[in-house]
Amino acid sequence: MMKRQRIIAALLMSASLSWASAGAAAAKDLLTIDLVNEPTSLDPHVQWNPDSYFVYRNIFDNLLTRDDSGAIVPQIATEWTYLSDNEIEFTIRDGVTFHDGTPLTAEDVAFSVKRITDPGFSSPQLSQFNSITDARVSADNKVVLVTNGAYPAVMAQLVKLSIVPQHVVEAVGNDAFNLAPVGSGPYKFSDWSRGVSVTLAVNEDYWGDKGVFKEAVFRAVPDAATRMANLQAKAADLVVTINSDMAAQLDGRDDVKVLSVLTERVAYFALNAQKPPMNNPDLRLAVAHAMDKEGITEGILGGYDEPVGQFMSPAHFGWVDGLESPGYDPDKARELVAAAGEEAKVPFPILTSPVYDQRVVQAIQQMLTDAGFNASIEMTDMATWLKDMQAGPEGIPVSAFSRWSCACQDADGILFPTLHSSSGWASAGDTALEAALEAGRSTLDEEERLAEYTKAQAILNEQNYLIPLYQAAIIYGAAAGLEWTPTPNESLFLNRMDWAE
Amino acid sequence: MTRYLLRKLGEATLVMFGVLTLIFFIQRLTGDPTFLLLPETATQADIEAMRHALGFDRPLMVQYLSFLADLVRFDLGRSVIQNLPVTDIIGSRLPYTLMLAGGALAVSCLIGIPLGVVMALNHGTTFATVLSSLVVAAQSLPTFWSGIILILIFAVSLGWLPPSSAGGFSHLVLPSIALGLLSMATFARVTRTAILDELSKEYVRTARARGVGMGRLVTRHLARNASIPLITVAALEVSNLLAGAVVVETVFAWPGLGQLTMQSIVSRDFMVVQGVVLLGAFVTVVLNVMADILYSIVDPRITLSARPS
Amino acid sequence: MTAALAPPQDEAQSELQALKRAARARRVRFLSRAWPLLAILSALVLAALFAPWIAPNDPLRQNLMGRLQAPGSEVRGVLYLLGSDELGRDLLSRVIHGARVSLLVAISSVLLSGVVGTTLGMIAGYLRGWPERIIMRLTDVFLSIPAILLAIIAVAVLGPGLVNVVLVLALTRWPRYARVAYAQTLALSNAPYVRLSRFMGGGTVHILLRHILPNIMGALIVVATLEFGLMVLFEASLSFLGLGVQPPTPSWGAMLAAGRDYVATAWWISVFPGFCLFLLVLAMNLLGDLLRDHFDPRLR
Repeated sequence: MMKRQRIIAALLMSASLSWASAGAAAAKDLLTIDLVNEPTSLDPHVQWNPDSYFVYRNIFDNLLTRDDSGAIVPQIATEWTYLSDNEIEFTIRDGVTFHDGTPLTAEDVAFSVKRITDPGFSSPQLSQFNSITDARVSADNKVVLVTNGAYPAVMAQLVKLSIVPQHVVEAVGNDAFNLAPVGSGPYKFSDWSRGVSVTLAVNEDYWGDKGVFKEAVFRAVPDAATRMANLQAKAADLVVTINSDMAAQLDGRDDVKVLSVLTERVAYFALNAQKPPMNNPDLRLAVAHAMDKEGITEGILGGYDEPVGQFMSPAHFGWVDGLESPGYDPDKARELVAAAGEEAKVPFPILTSPVYDQRVVQAIQQMLTDAGFNASIEMTDMATWLKDMQAGPEGIPVSAFSRWSCACQDADGILFPTLHSSSGWASAGDTALEAALEAGRSTLDEEERLAEYTKAQAILNEQNYLIPLYQAAIIYGAAAGLEWTPTPNESLFLNRMDWAE
Repeated sequence: MTRYLLRKLGEATLVMFGVLTLIFFIQRLTGDPTFLLLPETATQADIEAMRHALGFDRPLMVQYLSFLADLVRFDLGRSVIQNLPVTDIIGSRLPYTLMLAGGALAVSCLIGIPLGVVMALNHGTTFATVLSSLVVAAQSLPTFWSGIILILIFAVSLGWLPPSSAGGFSHLVLPSIALGLLSMATFARVTRTAILDELSKEYVRTARARGVGMGRLVTRHLARNASIPLITVAALEVSNLLAGAVVVETVFAWPGLGQLTMQSIVSRDFMVVQGVVLLGAFVTVVLNVMADILYSIVDPRITLSARPS
Repeated sequence: MTAALAPPQDEAQSELQALKRAARARRVRFLSRAWPLLAILSALVLAALFAPWIAPNDPLRQNLMGRLQAPGSEVRGVLYLLGSDELGRDLLSRVIHGARVSLLVAISSVLLSGVVGTTLGMIAGYLRGWPERIIMRLTDVFLSIPAILLAIIAVAVLGPGLVNVVLVLALTRWPRYARVAYAQTLALSNAPYVRLSRFMGGGTVHILLRHILPNIMGALIVVATLEFGLMVLFEASLSFLGLGVQPPTPSWGAMLAAGRDYVATAWWISVFPGFCLFLLVLAMNLLGDLLRDHFDPRLR
């Protein structure tokens, strides 16, 4: 019996040693990152999915990028000038080469734009680039992009435009390119073990800041509790998407730390202004007064997130200092509900999906119940949630907890799709509001645009078609040695990370 | 025997066709993946264009017939989410599921069968009751909870084993235990019944009367006679393991078919779901046929041609 | 000698007596072993029935200032005997109310799947022919579809909620009963008394309900008891995947799923509901084992 025990112990020991030695080597050369899911594709033009762009944004360079503070700065384009309201000329950086050694040219840039905007290619990102009608090479190192009319958000969109090599894509075809992507970024694609991980290797010839890790592994770990365990067991150096209570578990440990940043994602309470009881403006005001935003951000979310009084973040263009939507006032909420009588008693659902923080949703339901509403949580899966939420005024549920990011930091990207009746998400049907939103997107004049968005927000604050709640933070768990400033646009740029023992 | 197999084959084809048809249509009641593929800012026109590009705007019958036409050519279609042929995706995940199922089966057999023998030999004593309670206790906790506890103890606190993901042999240990504990009680139970059954037979009584030792009896005679029902159960238990793998693979980030099923259902990757379900149905059918054949070996009174269903 | 002299009637009489005695002895032995399990189950059922009167607090009342309090803490005059959960709700009250949901889901899904499966299985086994083919192929079809898939479809098509959880569970589990009922009916359908009844003009329904069902009930009860534990676990797994009973309704499975994130910092959130769930499943499974022995002629 004793002998058998010793054998088992020995087996366990040998298994653990081989594993631990792999972990020790990871500290310097290999960075292990735990994502939620596997990337769906590494071709930057064929998907719109966070787990994919966490990875491929390290393989590819974009036309422009944002620095750590969120400002738009040059990447492949070094400078740009407006030739007219709808024509912009970009100068392409010299000396950039793809991972196969060929130089990146203006033709590659024009090809990339045409590829992603080709309706036949049907890129999921088409909607973000389809106001670009043409891309032509105007000189050796210059590309002119033509938009259909003035399109103020174009620069913010070009931050997401990855440059692919024309010669490779045309030689191997889209499917093969997806399996073995070639870019010009700080890391090269190395290996994709399906379902397990994607491995990238550092690009020693990168034109910009080179990565310090020789290799980086992105793994798919769907369960947040497991990601936390991986971090604590040192099997991962960086884990994404943990919540504030998990972050609190890392407090007081000296081998792991919490990294967090406010993103441009805004959490809000969506209402269908056409369905009872929320077709009554007084009751929408009551909902606004019932929301204890501080209670949510401080009480549940651990203070990482920031309550907002506008349906955007201070990082958005269109933010107006001093503008505030109706604030927390539970007494007034109860009064308004009581005054509405039977109308307020209509039961209604709060649509949600497991992706959203259920602590917040349950707290919101409690706040509505306290105010006198009869709301119940209705959980569904994400596909159904998205379908219902974009079903137009007839189909949109009476209320839902949602978070919005256009990845463009512009009022147009958040107000227009949620409030303009041309969008499936919108139910407000307010012509004055829509006029302001249309005016705001059709000029490049910043003062004029700001005036329109001020107008739009004033209407929103009066009508409460939706209730802005807070600017969401993104929380990462990291090994203590990892030195990295997370960016508001939720990207993981490996060459902006460093390691200190 | 041949006639039996031919009829089974016919029935199996019918069942798989039924499963696929059912899956095809009920899946499509839940919408399609278009919304999940596009950014929130996509307009109605973008959504329609994407739906058209993916072919989800075609009439259901047309989609169904084209699916069947591909299937006849052994083409399971293409995943619109992962941009890969379904056979490639399933092919890359299958080895992991086989590994996990093997590991779990090993855990449940290696612990369950000896415990069953001990329980049978001590039938009626308090010791046997305590043992059977322990065995049942192991399967009385949801794996999503016991799994994370295993990780926290053996990977985080003790640091003996890696917490998750696939890798070397050591990565297989924890998920195999988590999944194997579920079937352990079944094996213990079947072994116990089989042994008790054998113990009551004439030859055992005679042997014991002649003074043959219990240990010899178990290893020489009982083990062989009790092994046939065990093999039957093992074959059937595999389909249970595959069902349990959905949660275990999610918790341990194990890249097998269970996790793939879950992700494909959630992301409305219809073609992958159909492929996985087809494979599952096939395995179930094959295991059932194997069980039938084994029955006929155990009990010659059952002839395969006479056995209905 | 005396036995031989006794009239045959007496012999039959004494044999019957002996059988009755043996049956009574078996029942006594069963009860002597099962009473602790029955006690646990009764306690849980009582907790479920009288939850509103036993629970010290409102299980839904949140207190964001009193989140994650350890057992025995007191916040604003509310005593959290078993601690508070991630939204500051009283865990004791939630655990007590959780018994309702878990038991309700398990009992109704076992009943529903049991009734549907048994009916179909008996029909298949008794009528044979094409009903047998259709029903038994249908069980194969349903056994081949992942339960998770049915769960997601049910939630997407019918909407979420307790009723749909029960429907999903019943939809995926009825084939188990169908198979057992089928095999048992098949064995019984040629029994002399069934043939006699048929000969005397007994209708199909009459024969199934009067002669077959009572005789296969034992096997079905064993299956149902073991299935019961599985249903409780399955409901918990659905909660883990976000498809279970709607929040904020307390169910042990949902509490256990939510508590996973707090195992290291606030163990009580998952340990107490987990312990109750464990007790329920364990007691039902052990009871199932005892019943199996009880009904198994080989072990008498």
